[in-house]
Amino acid sequence: MTSLDIAPFANALVLGLSIASIWLIAAIGLTIIYGTVGVINMAHGEFIMLGAYTSYALQSSFGLPFLLCLPASFAVVALVGLVIERGLIRYLYNRPLDTLLATWGVSLVLMQGVRLIFGSDPKYIAVPEIFQSNVEVGFASLSVFRLVVLAITALIVAGTAYLFYRTRFGMQVRAVMQNKEMAASFGINADRVYMTTFALGAGLAGVAGSLFGVLAIVLPTMGTAYVVQAFLVVVVGGGTLMGSVAAAGLTGELQSVFAFITNDTFARFLLYVLIVVFLRFRPRGLFAVAKGRR
Amino acid sequence: MDLTRRKLLKQSSLAAAAIAAPHLWLPTAREAWGATLKKGEPIKVGLLFSLTGQLAVPEEDSTLVMQYAIDEINKNGGIAGHPIQPVIVDAKSDFNVYSEKAKELIIREKVIALFGCYTSASRKAILPVVMSQNSLLYYPTCYEGAECTQNTICTGPLANQHSKDLIPYMVKNFGKKVFFVGSNYVWPKESNKNAKIWLQEAGGELLGEEYIPLGSSEFGPVLGKIRDAKPNFIFSTVVGASDIAFHKQFKQEGFKVDSMPIASLTTGEIETKAMGADFGAGHFLSAPYFQSLENPTNQKFVENFLKSKYGKNGSTHYNMEETYLSAYVFKAGLEAAIKKTGNVEEVTSRMIRDVSGGVRVEDDVSPEGLIWIDGDNFNSWLKPKIGQCQADGSFKIVSEAKEHVAPDPYSIYPNAGKCTATGLVAPDGKSRKNVI
Amino acid sequence: MTTRNLYHSKPAQWAVYGLFFVSIALIPAFVSDGFLLNQFAVYGIYGMLALSISLCWGFGGILNLGQGIAFGLAAYGMAMTMQMQSQDPESNPIPPFMLNNSLEHLPWFWQPFWSTGGGILLALIVPTLFYVVFGTLMFRARVSGPFFAIMSLAMLSAFATLILDMQPYTNGANGISPPSPLSVFGTDIDPYSPTAYWIVCGLLIVTTVGAKLLTQSKFGLVVQALRGDPERVRFLGYNVALYETCIYAISGFIAALAGCLWVMLIQYVSPAQLDTTFSIGMVIWAGIGGRLSLLGAILGAFLIQGGQSYLGDQFLATWLLMLGAFFIVVVRFLPKGLAGLLEKVLGALARQPGKHARPDLPHAISGAPAAGE
Repeated sequence: MTSLDIAPFANALVLGLSIASIWLIAAIGLTIIYGTVGVINMAHGEFIMLGAYTSYALQSSFGLPFLLCLPASFAVVALVGLVIERGLIRYLYNRPLDTLLATWGVSLVLMQGVRLIFGSDPKYIAVPEIFQSNVEVGFASLSVFRLVVLAITALIVAGTAYLFYRTRFGMQVRAVMQNKEMAASFGINADRVYMTTFALGAGLAGVAGSLFGVLAIVLPTMGTAYVVQAFLVVVVGGGTLMGSVAAAGLTGELQSVFAFITNDTFARFLLYVLIVVFLRFRPRGLFAVAKGRR
Repeated sequence: MDLTRRKLLKQSSLAAAAIAAPHLWLPTAREAWGATLKKGEPIKVGLLFSLTGQLAVPEEDSTLVMQYAIDEINKNGGIAGHPIQPVIVDAKSDFNVYSEKAKELIIREKVIALFGCYTSASRKAILPVVMSQNSLLYYPTCYEGAECTQNTICTGPLANQHSKDLIPYMVKNFGKKVFFVGSNYVWPKESNKNAKIWLQEAGGELLGEEYIPLGSSEFGPVLGKIRDAKPNFIFSTVVGASDIAFHKQFKQEGFKVDSMPIASLTTGEIETKAMGADFGAGHFLSAPYFQSLENPTNQKFVENFLKSKYGKNGSTHYNMEETYLSAYVFKAGLEAAIKKTGNVEEVTSRMIRDVSGGVRVEDDVSPEGLIWIDGDNFNSWLKPKIGQCQADGSFKIVSEAKEHVAPDPYSIYPNAGKCTATGLVAPDGKSRKNVI
Repeated sequence: MTTRNLYHSKPAQWAVYGLFFVSIALIPAFVSDGFLLNQFAVYGIYGMLALSISLCWGFGGILNLGQGIAFGLAAYGMAMTMQMQSQDPESNPIPPFMLNNSLEHLPWFWQPFWSTGGGILLALIVPTLFYVVFGTLMFRARVSGPFFAIMSLAMLSAFATLILDMQPYTNGANGISPPSPLSVFGTDIDPYSPTAYWIVCGLLIVTTVGAKLLTQSKFGLVVQALRGDPERVRFLGYNVALYETCIYAISGFIAALAGCLWVMLIQYVSPAQLDTTFSIGMVIWAGIGGRLSLLGAILGAFLIQGGQSYLGDQFLATWLLMLGAFFIVVVRFLPKGLAGLLEKVLGALARQPGKHARPDLPHAISGAPAAGE
């Protein structure tokens, strides 16, 4: 179907926003971790998965309503991230490529651990009735839940931006990002900053997971589908918050438009190719972190 | 330094060649590759399914139900007095592992038959070794056909055994206009090729055909296209996790199941449980088996299976039942082979396959009702049924074929020829074996 | 001489390599079970892949998460060659799966595979050429480190998707299963025979020796230098991008060779060979074994894949859990892999007082790594 009628095309653009928000919320935790700490976290997909399972577990054991599950997932997965950072990542900061191996091991452990505890069968997360319908505004139609995801993503981005650019903690983080030794010499506890940002990134992945569990499915292997996409957003964006927002926005819209014009599979292939070409000409990404030589 | 290194290498390679030389020209002394049975010893069969990884969801159940079937058969005296001993491996959803484990089971463990696979890709990965070792594979899942091997027996429906009924039913009850959605790989595309033919015969109209990347859960663009096209129903061959995401997003985007239901070949009890009955209710499935089938054999099967230690996942869906059937097809085939030779030690895998043409699993054993194996292409004759998902997640049978449907692996490729027990016979009379 | 860590002595290294070569060459003398020979040969292929990663990552410092591109493309080339061997130009010119996809004629890019030699050549050259082009594009733009790693992963995914999607030409997800074994010079190479094993074994030995010589050459020295500090090497006047592309392409060639041998042994290829998990697995093998040691990487592959085959079913439920935990422990405590552990142990032994140390030399010199480790 290649007709370019205005109404369906405009709908595709609106949908693109939703797809962008999904890419973004999947990537934001990784952005924070990679941008600040410089760690390639191969277990990012599993943090997402843990968030989904946390929501499922809280709901099925305690009957917690979905909206409360979101902050709860944040807390639980942030805690897991904290433990992992203190127990393992902390020792690997000077070996950035080795963190890849180590976090791959972590992802295996988390995936199999969840499988052993919960089983391989897909789980169901219940949401309020209102999330099971859609909203139609003129030509555009979007499900309520997608709007919720969009809203939560916007909230998280705003909150993170505020945290990083308006608080003292954020200033410390940015200082450490630019030059860890200098920041430490000014009295900033770089260790603690790393620990907190890692936990923060993990927690945000957890929130994304809770949302994805409703949008898609809850399985031990659900995280793997989001990892490559999340990485691409981070790399194209350059590792900064603004970069990830721009990258997710671009790729989300492009995916929706390409899929509208051709088909989903070709759209995805085209997107990958474009990203490779883009990175060839701008390898540091859209908005790279300005940092001194480490 | 150089001299030493070169000398070292030269000497070592000469030594190696000298020791190894006899093996180069001695005829490759292969011991009896073929598996054999020994009187009084258990019958070894291999269970090659994924217990971990992406494919664990349909496949772990297959292993569990096979174990249940084997326990049941053994409790009733085994086969000709011999118990069956399953060798269970985990294929880890990795095709390299499937291939390796298939070799291990057939060549090293010398199993007389193999039960395995779910995706066609994994089946294709192990077929070379199954064929070259002349072993026997029971493949218990629906697939696209277009194969004619002499070493497999299949208990799942072919395209002409489920979509052929489903499409006309949906056209009759909901309308002529349909939109096809599938996962992007061979089976959905082949199924759609078949479906297009039945659609044309039923007088329907195809509004669009979209394929989603495997594993993707983003259905926004496709649903947008469906919204524009306004079909009467959707024919879905989306599989796995994507299937669940599809049904969820379908409802979330405001589509009404009563006016535009999804008719699929895969969305069964497990998927419905995973997505939640409120997302699954109202949609249709064509399969030879549903957990809610009301015959005494099925009721007993469901009750006993779920009570047993293998029934932990809580449902019996069509893929599991097809696997259960394959165990009894094996039993019948082996019994026939033993009767034919009179001596259990002369039975080979290929022999079991050859005598299995026409073998039946009767009403009192088969939860879906009588089935039998076709004597030419060794797929199953079965009765397709159509079920609609109810509010509690179970399926209500809304239509059932009156007669058994013959399996036709080349139904839309008449030029390929006819698959017979000894090979694929082309229209010009030439016969070719092992066509995959 | 100064205190030398035996690990770094060249003659000792070559002796160990020689021992390794002899032992793997002798295996068919003791093992006649065809299944085992085939399995060991497959391990040999994994070893070759780990070798290629070690060359590229350990020595070149280029983390390549997409080695499956070379492996997979070559495997497809070989599968196409073997498939065409079973076709006959008159009676049976088109593979069955193409007929099912309504193709009337053999597509143009399948035509060269009628010739066995041509097919194998293409299977080796096309992936290497791709690596040259991709490497040039990336390294000229100074894309390196984690960025390059992610790019290679994305490229891998793109190829897998492409092959999956081009179903009429590649049979999509079902892959290509040539019905008969590879036939060269008129004879079939039975995948379960010692012949097949020796072909793999021989090529593994040749590529390992070649790689080792490469790392000990001047080229190898420059590559190792740019692993440590590319800027400095650039200032010294070397064309860093050229060296990086070369080592990347060489590692790709070895992976392509492995891909061809793979299909010879397994008679099957599918987009699964371009799976990200498999490519990352290769990096894990090299990482565990010791990416700075070619032999270490090969043994790492043997260890992990062997473990998976033999322990994976003992510990059905927990194998992957144990593997993950094992990776974590190795990376945390043994950054240079198990080979690094050996290095440390040998170093500690060499430093035992009164044995070999010359007391008048500063202690710091005694542990210096020799060139071409």
